[in-house]
Amino acid sequence: MNSIRLGAALFALLAMPVFAAETGSVIRADGIRVEPFRDAKKIATLSIGDKVEIVKKNGGWLLIKSPKGKGWVHMLNVRKGDIRKRSGNIGGLLGMASGRAGTGKVVATTGIRGLDEFELQSAKFNESELNLVESYAITRAEAQVFATQGKLVAREFDYLPSPEVSTK
Amino acid sequence: MKAIIKYLSITVLTLACSTAWSFDFEEGFKKVLKDGIQKKIEEKSDAATSKALLGLAGTSQEEEIAIGRQIAGNLLGASALVKDQSLQTYVNNVGRWVASQSERPDLPWHFGVIESNDVNAFAAPGGYIFLTRGLYSLLQNEAELAGVLGHEIGHVIRKHHLKILQQSSLIDLGGKLLSGQVGGNNQVQKLIGNGAEVVARSLDKNAEFEADRIAVVLATRAGYDAFAFPEVLQQIGHFAKDDGSVSLLFKTHPHPDDRLEKLGLVINDRLDDVKGDTLATRFYRIKP
Repeated sequence: MNSIRLGAALFALLAMPVFAAETGSVIRADGIRVEPFRDAKKIATLSIGDKVEIVKKNGGWLLIKSPKGKGWVHMLNVRKGDIRKRSGNIGGLLGMASGRAGTGKVVATTGIRGLDEFELQSAKFNESELNLVESYAITRAEAQVFATQGKLVAREFDYLPSPEVSTK
Repeated sequence: MKAIIKYLSITVLTLACSTAWSFDFEEGFKKVLKDGIQKKIEEKSDAATSKALLGLAGTSQEEEIAIGRQIAGNLLGASALVKDQSLQTYVNNVGRWVASQSERPDLPWHFGVIESNDVNAFAAPGGYIFLTRGLYSLLQNEAELAGVLGHEIGHVIRKHHLKILQQSSLIDLGGKLLSGQVGGNNQVQKLIGNGAEVVARSLDKNAEFEADRIAVVLATRAGYDAFAFPEVLQQIGHFAKDDGSVSLLFKTHPHPDDRLEKLGLVINDRLDDVKGDTLATRFYRIKP
């Protein structure tokens, strides 16, 4: 019964709308636009450090509310705030579910382990698990079929250049 | 010849940089890198870079795969696969499709979700890629999964871990491996150190930034929403620094905020006209 309740709580948490009540702060000055396009009309300009409330996301754009107005800002110009503390909740719940303490220490009886350097160092070769993962292999042709089923179409796009190493 | 020596020294410098723990040292290196060296490496086509590096250290693709296989087997010894065949097949489909957009589409790519509530993902040479149940559970759609796998694929195609191995013990043994004097698991194990420790090592920060850029590019090429991967970075950025589930990830990677800032600088308006799909409906939800 307990585990059902925990599962339900966990599900509710995971199913929460991603952008509910999220805030962010502006890390690059940018305009608030009426539509999610770079050449859409600007209604105001946000300065670095301005706080915004994030309403929703559309591709690379966030619909935000701020004292300066409501509109679209590019997601990479906003650093999301941590009003939700999502990590703590999920970590804590998953931790409880697996018998792991909040400290990140592993309770040996659960069979679910953390993966720190020491565990990776002392890991022993597991042939059967390796064979298992290799048995899941997908061919290029199969992946193409999978992509087509999802209506994904490959397109050309150049690698992004390395930005100038900034010393700022 | 002069060019080769120059190239060698660049390579050695870059590799040396990857294990530099001291911040000052790294800052110093950044300055050196800034003087065009980093650019030079970036400008070289990946194939040429890999060929030059591997030519020098003597690691063929078969050897690369053998090394990766050993590391993957060890990693699976630390954390077994999530026993959900539908999940694993799904992840292999997405991963293989993304990898098909890279310049190494014909590596025998393998992808797996492993039993750990830590938030992390790992790449081993030759195309073995794993992400934890903890990381998978954070994902909201297929495009985000594609981005995460794309980052790891980036490490594989640019041979970031292989370079670390070559720089340490492997460099000595590479020749022997090539000439067939060394064979079998025990010998490969000697090359990779203890267990799967190589996947726990910090790469050069620039290698991580490079893998981030590759993640965005490969996901875009595969038809996915290019901004799904930055979204994952934002999610991970929400974790408290002392949260145990991200301790190894944060120890071995620049903070997500720094990674997002670097991505923002380079993406600029390059992706404005690119529309992609998140495929949230097809996303395989892992059972909690």
